[in-house]
Amino acid sequence: MDNLGIFLQILFWGLYAGCIYILLATGLNLIFGVMKIVNFAHGEFLMIGAYITATVFFLTGINPYLIILVSMLALIGIGAVVERLCFRPILGTGKLNEIFLSIGLIYIFQNGAAIIWGDSWQSIRSPYDGITIPVGPLSIPLDYIIIVALTAGILIALYLFLKKTKTGREMRATSQNRKGAMLVGIDVERIDVISFGLGCALAAAAGTLWVVSGQVFNPYIGSMPAVKAFTIIILGGLGSIPGAIIGGLLMGIAENGAAFLLGGIWKDAVSFIILIVVLVIRPTGLFGEKGD
Amino acid sequence: MTKYGPVATLAIAAALPFLSDNMFLLNLLVLMLISIIFASAWNLLAFTGQGSLGHAAFFGIGAYAATLIAVRSGISPFVTIFLGAAVAAFIGVLIGLTCVRLKEWFLAMVTFGFAIILQTLTVSVLAPVTGGWDGISSPRLVSPSVPGYQFIEYYVVLVITISTLAAIWYIMKSRIGLAFLAIRENELEARAAGVDPVRYRLLAFAMSAYLAGVAGALQIYHIGYLTPDLYGVNNSFWPVTYVILGGLGTIAGPVVGTIVLTVILEGLKQTGLTFGRYVIVGFILILTIIFLPRGLVDLPERLKAWWKERGRKASEAGPQRSAWKFF
Repeated sequence: MDNLGIFLQILFWGLYAGCIYILLATGLNLIFGVMKIVNFAHGEFLMIGAYITATVFFLTGINPYLIILVSMLALIGIGAVVERLCFRPILGTGKLNEIFLSIGLIYIFQNGAAIIWGDSWQSIRSPYDGITIPVGPLSIPLDYIIIVALTAGILIALYLFLKKTKTGREMRATSQNRKGAMLVGIDVERIDVISFGLGCALAAAAGTLWVVSGQVFNPYIGSMPAVKAFTIIILGGLGSIPGAIIGGLLMGIAENGAAFLLGGIWKDAVSFIILIVVLVIRPTGLFGEKGD
Repeated sequence: MTKYGPVATLAIAAALPFLSDNMFLLNLLVLMLISIIFASAWNLLAFTGQGSLGHAAFFGIGAYAATLIAVRSGISPFVTIFLGAAVAAFIGVLIGLTCVRLKEWFLAMVTFGFAIILQTLTVSVLAPVTGGWDGISSPRLVSPSVPGYQFIEYYVVLVITISTLAAIWYIMKSRIGLAFLAIRENELEARAAGVDPVRYRLLAFAMSAYLAGVAGALQIYHIGYLTPDLYGVNNSFWPVTYVILGGLGTIAGPVVGTIVLTVILEGLKQTGLTFGRYVIVGFILILTIIFLPRGLVDLPERLKAWWKERGRKASEAGPQRSAWKFF
């Protein structure tokens, strides 16, 4: 393959890996925008979504892409409970508490999943496994194309929800000015629960796509993508959804480029090197005006 | 826990090996003391309001540097503990330089990232020296051929732990400690009062990294083997868990938290829970953050207040507000 071919291949892998990051980062941003909290345990919702998808697939054998609805709905419920029982009591008690609380959630979800499903690596096979579509010099797996399309679909649906529905408008109002939203009669606590649930559902969608693409999973897969999603929203601007989308794509491409040039071991480190370099130059992130 | 608390704890700690010659228990005690040093190191940085999620980096550097220096030069492990920790402190200042202008989760992310980067370096570029993922064996603090080496090791670690706590107590009583607290409470006012936040934050980073390095070196000399897992996420989370449970920003907090959590974890292990005990730790951590934000060291005060409140409430029963509303 010539240089252009390799470049296109990296670009496409990056696009596919970026989809998972985009979904996670958008979810984190949604939650941050409304509640001004950061949940370091966000990746655990991806992991739970992955296991729900695999379990439903093993039990029923239906097309795994359809299970995305089941995992998203389940995670809306789990997210609502986590928000109500864990994050609401500590709202406004200091940023460090959110980090510490997330560590507690990480312990619970990772080890809970290990109790239920075991801690060995698993994987499932997509029904479209092995089917490729030739695009120019590349042959792209059909799964990758479906994943990119599904991610785009979810993001468009989210956009329409935020712009067109009453709840969506209330969410935007709350994220702009919480006190103002209260004054005009919006039940901000209800909005908190909905945003948190939606954010978790996006993570669940990422989990389903993770599993469907044939990637292996165990209870500990969530941390690293979530931390990277977090670096993406620091770079792309806290609360900015377009920033999350562009940042997610760039992160996916940068990682795959680094893995190709330096070796797979550098895949994780490179995102932190980017983060550190950016934060040394601009301590508030690329597009952020203020940290809080 | 007033004046006599520390003295009593010390007496118990010194007498414990005589009460039981159970080697398993002694091993556990050594690891617990090392965790106390590690948790106190993390807590020292938290005094300045900086919550690190990557203290495994300093723990790991201390361990690797101490081992490599000891193996290459043949210097006694008793000395290399502190040389390794000095390397950790040096790296700590370098990492601190990138962190001093960052707040809360930005800082958490960057410190977390440094631990990952160090792990990657250890298994890739530095693999010829560090042994890559396989790790290398390290000398023991006291050679197992010495009779009663476990007891010697225990008392050495105990002395270092007590010195660490005493040093932290002294630092926090001094002008440096005041400056730390001033920065944590209000950076602008601290600056107005003539405290340079950047300098003191760096100092906190250096001291915290040094102590974490001591803990790392001690643990490796106790176990006799080291792998890049030292840089793992778990190792970064444990000191946080210990300190939050015991009480953030107190000297007794890391000690109480480590002891209580070690007892809970070991107790649950005896009942055969492997993953379940960590789920329970997670619940304990969350409940502590919500209901006991100042940790276990605050419990006596809280109980006293609750007891007084209870007496008053009984006399003036008013309408109760229902606070439980899901949506």
